Parts: sequence; structure tokens; C-alpha cells
Amino acid sequence: MSERAAGSIYDLGYRRYSGARLGRRHAVVALYVHGLRAAFGLGRRTRSKIFPISLAIIAAIPAIVQIAIASIVNTDDLEVFEAEEYYSYVQIVLALFAAAVAPELLGRDQRHQTLSLYFSRALSRYDYALSRFAAMATALLALTLLPQALLFFGNALAVDEFGGYFRREWDQIGPIILSGLLVSLFIAAIATTIAAQTPRRAFATIGIVVPFILLAPIAALLVETLDGARAGIFVSPFHVMNGFTFWFFNFFNATPDAGGNLAQADFHGSLYAIVALAVTAIGVALLLRRYERLSS
Amino acid sequence: MALVETQALTKRYPGVVALDALDITIDSGIIGLVGANGAGKSTLIKILLGLLPATSGTAQVLTFDVATDGPDLRQFVGYMPEHDCLPPDISATEFVAHLAQVSGLPRSAARERTAETLRHVGLFEERYRDMGGYSTGMKQRVKLAQALVHDPQLIFLDEPTNGLDPAGRLEMLDLVQRTGREFGIAILMASHLLGEIERVCDSLVVIDGGRLVRSGAVAEFTADLGSLEVEVEGDAGRLVALLTERGFEARGEGRLAQIALEGAEPYDAIRDCIVELDMGLVRLEQRRQSLEDLFRPGAAEESDEPEPANV
Repeated sequence: MSERAAGSIYDLGYRRYSGARLGRRHAVVALYVHGLRAAFGLGRRTRSKIFPISLAIIAAIPAIVQIAIASIVNTDDLEVFEAEEYYSYVQIVLALFAAAVAPELLGRDQRHQTLSLYFSRALSRYDYALSRFAAMATALLALTLLPQALLFFGNALAVDEFGGYFRREWDQIGPIILSGLLVSLFIAAIATTIAAQTPRRAFATIGIVVPFILLAPIAALLVETLDGARAGIFVSPFHVMNGFTFWFFNFFNATPDAGGNLAQADFHGSLYAIVALAVTAIGVALLLRRYERLSS
Repeated sequence: MALVETQALTKRYPGVVALDALDITIDSGIIGLVGANGAGKSTLIKILLGLLPATSGTAQVLTFDVATDGPDLRQFVGYMPEHDCLPPDISATEFVAHLAQVSGLPRSAARERTAETLRHVGLFEERYRDMGGYSTGMKQRVKLAQALVHDPQLIFLDEPTNGLDPAGRLEMLDLVQRTGREFGIAILMASHLLGEIERVCDSLVVIDGGRLVRSGAVAEFTADLGSLEVEVEGDAGRLVALLTERGFEARGEGRLAQIALEGAEPYDAIRDCIVELDMGLVRLEQRRQSLEDLFRPGAAEESDEPEPANV
């Protein structure tokens, strides 16, 4: 402790505060905004920004490539990257992003025992957990909704007449928003629940990446080789995501006419959405339970 | 209005009763919460903050019910935990300002209050550096600052001098005392170091094994004992023997002797005896009961207990 610091405590004023106290809602919003910034390393050192921001850019590359092609070839028939298949191109990027960010949002406060400081403020344990979850889901929107929006408006701008494209394709907007929201919530629920279980960053990251990436080939194997095991497709988050995305983009028509495992498994598209919603709900419930029990 | 009131507050963990039907009332000022490690101090503080649910019984802090009004109550109380709780890769300014907002302060007020509070605890240019490089003393100051930044009416300090060297302890205690006295913020300070409590607090609550042992003003606990304490270079036993021979009531061992202050004044005799025995006189003082005396019979002494405060 410096001499100066020790000597100066005596002569500088502390004043009482009589201004506004905005209470719980303000506290939750402040925590949410802080979490959202932290997800992209904003307000942190450059090192923490590189990974999440790079991944966010990578997730938009298919959209950018499509726009480039469309603007050069100048025809609205040439869709190399289609909206309904977008998440199958970038699913690994989404998983990596969640695996990098969720431990930062949830493990960090456990690692440094900062939770006591949060829990002793104007919010509840549930508020804390939900605000972290919301920050994760919102951060994921930047990798789901944003590229999709880019793709849509890019395509529209690339073709000769903007209005024409818009009139023909406006019905894509619903599926874009719905699928972007559900993909983000679904991944956020899985990632935050896993990340909340451990203060150790490496464990959390591996714990998130493994189910996403490992379960996809297992699901494919089950569906392709075992006749009775087509329900195995639901163990893979990627397959579930693609399942409901196709369903949304096909305007809720029965079986998605997708290729590959989705066609083989031959389930009604709504089942993927139901599974995704159920997993999201269970994930959030487990997250809340974890924070109810965490000692502070 | 009582700051803190509990009624039959009980907290049971599997196999352990942390708080056992505790009834306490705390008014204002700086209150010491005293007890050995494991006496239930931290548990009590956490329940009063609404961080832990009580098994049974009720508690009100600033008239808020801790079990149901947690978020509202916590706008007006601060908490400095015993353990490390600061992330290393962020500056004190940013961290405290963020926490101030989570306490309900608007953004701009949070910034202003952060600057003022960090200054109040004695953190200057360092406050823009990442906290990972801070000394224990600086970290304790930040921990105190985050408890104060939203200008609470009551702060809970759990072992605020933990890990500090003797000089750092005194500075922290001064800071606590100034915060309580000059700004009228009530402070409940848990400590197992009685010397600290005696130095800073107006009143105290003694708990042991989750039960209330006693509560009251510090002055009630530290009455004049009516004896002199003498520290010598050499064997105090010989001094005691000689004084007893001359009609004084004395006892002692090692380097310390206690001489009763009744009847004839013993000062000259003590001087003469020490000269006669050719010993060195280190200290001669009137003895007051220290808080530690309360705990001495049977109570497990903490190994890091400092010397009793010289009064």
C-alpha cells in the first residue's frame, strides 16, 4: 500500500447519496447489458474480443458470399446459400461461439466468487441466472438473425428491382425471425446450463462443444444404420435445429423435404420444434435450480 | 426503528445447527458480531441479507422482511464478504460502477459515486488498473468500496481485516470507524478478533454455537478491573513472591504480574522490588478487562489473536 494512499483517506469526502434508486428492474437490465457486452469482449481487453467477434464474422461469411455472387451474376435465381439451410452451414460456428461465451458469462463469476456481490444487490438469484441466459441468447442472435437478415436484404439489393424481390420473398421474414429466435434460445439454454455447472472454463467449453459436435454423427449413425432407431435424430442439437428450421421455412408443412438424415428419420417437422422448446425449458429450469443451490 | 430484528431465527444444516433460535435486536452505530470461527456469524449475515433462507424464524432488516423483500432491502444494505470476490481482469472503477448499477443506481450516478467511494477508501490512480495486480490491502479497500458505493443505510462487514498486516488492519479499522461515525452508516462487523471489535465498535453481540451469549454496549464489557499489570525483563514469579512478602496482593507468571490496586498504593513498592531483584521494567499499566477475558475461561483462543489493546 502506498504511503500516499494511506495518508489520504483522511481528507477526502464521502457524501451521502440522495438521488434516484431505480430498483430491481434497473439492476437486472444493467446486468443484462453488461453480460451482452462481455459476450463480445466489449469493455474487456482486446484478447477477449478476438474470438467472439471473429466467430460472429465467420457466421456471416455465407451470407456475404451469396450477396457477392448475386451482385456479380445479377440474377435472383442463383441462390448458393439458402436461408433454410443457413444454420447447417454455420452450426459449428454457433456451437463454438456458445462454448466460448457461456463459460465467460457464467463460470467467471463462480470462479472469482463474485456471485456473493451480485446476490447481495437489488436482484434475486433467478434474476441473475435469467439475465445471463438472456445475454447469451441475445448474443447468439448476432450470429443467427443478423446473417439471415444480411442474406435477405443482400439478395433483395443484388437483384434488379428491390421491390419485386421483396414482394416475392416477403413471406421468408417470418421463418427467418422464428428460426433465428428459436435457434438462439435453444443453443443458449444448452450452453448456459452446462457452463453453470463448473467454475472451470476449460471443462465448460469442452462440455458444450462435445454434445453439439459429437452427437451429430451419432444421430446420423443411428438414423442411417439402425431401422428402429430413427428417433435417435433428436439427440443431436444440430439435427433438431435444422429440423425445425426447415419446417419453419416450409411454412409448417408436414415433413420437411430436406435431404439426408431429416428425410430418413421422416418425422413431422413440428416435433423438432417441440423438442427444441422442451430442451430450452428444461435447460432454463436446470439453470435456475443450479443458481438456487449455489452457495454464495 | 430497530435496524435488525430477529425472532427465533434458526438455521439447520444436515448434522449442524448454525443458528439456534436467535433473538436479537440491533439499533444503530457500529456493532460488533463476535464469536469463534463456526459460531454462526457468516450464516447470520447471509440470512440477514436474504442470501440464505432460514430454516425457521423470521428476521427484519430496515423493516424489510429478509425472506420476501430481498431485492428491495438490498438497495439499502451493503455487504463485504470475507472471501476474495474480485475478478482480476477488470479495473476497480469499472467493476464498482457496474455493481453500483446492479444496486439500482442510474448509470451517471453510479460513475460519480464510484469515483467518490474509491477515493474515500483510499484508492487513487490504481483504480484504473486491473485488480489482479492489487495487494491484499487494496483488494480489501475495493471490497469495502463496493459495499458502500450505493450509499446503504447499513453495511455488513465479514472479517474486514482478513489477510491484512498489522498496519493494514489499523487503516481498515480507521476507515470502518470513520464510515460509521462521520456518515452515520450503521455497520454490523463480524470478527473473531476481539481487539478489533473493542477498538471500533460501540456495542456488540456475542454468539457461540448459534446462540446469543450476550449483547450490549462495549463499555459494559470492559470494566475497570482495579489492578495493575507489570511486565518485566526476567521472572515475574520472583517479583510476585517479594511483593506478597511485603503485603501486596499479587500473582503472575512468565514476564507478567498483576498487582491489586487496593489498600496501599503499590507503585513505589513495585519499583523498589524490581530494583532489588535487578530486573528491567518494561511496562506498568492499569488493567481493564478486555473482551478477551470474557472468552478466556474455556474458550478456544484464536492463534492469530493480537495482544490485548493497551488502555
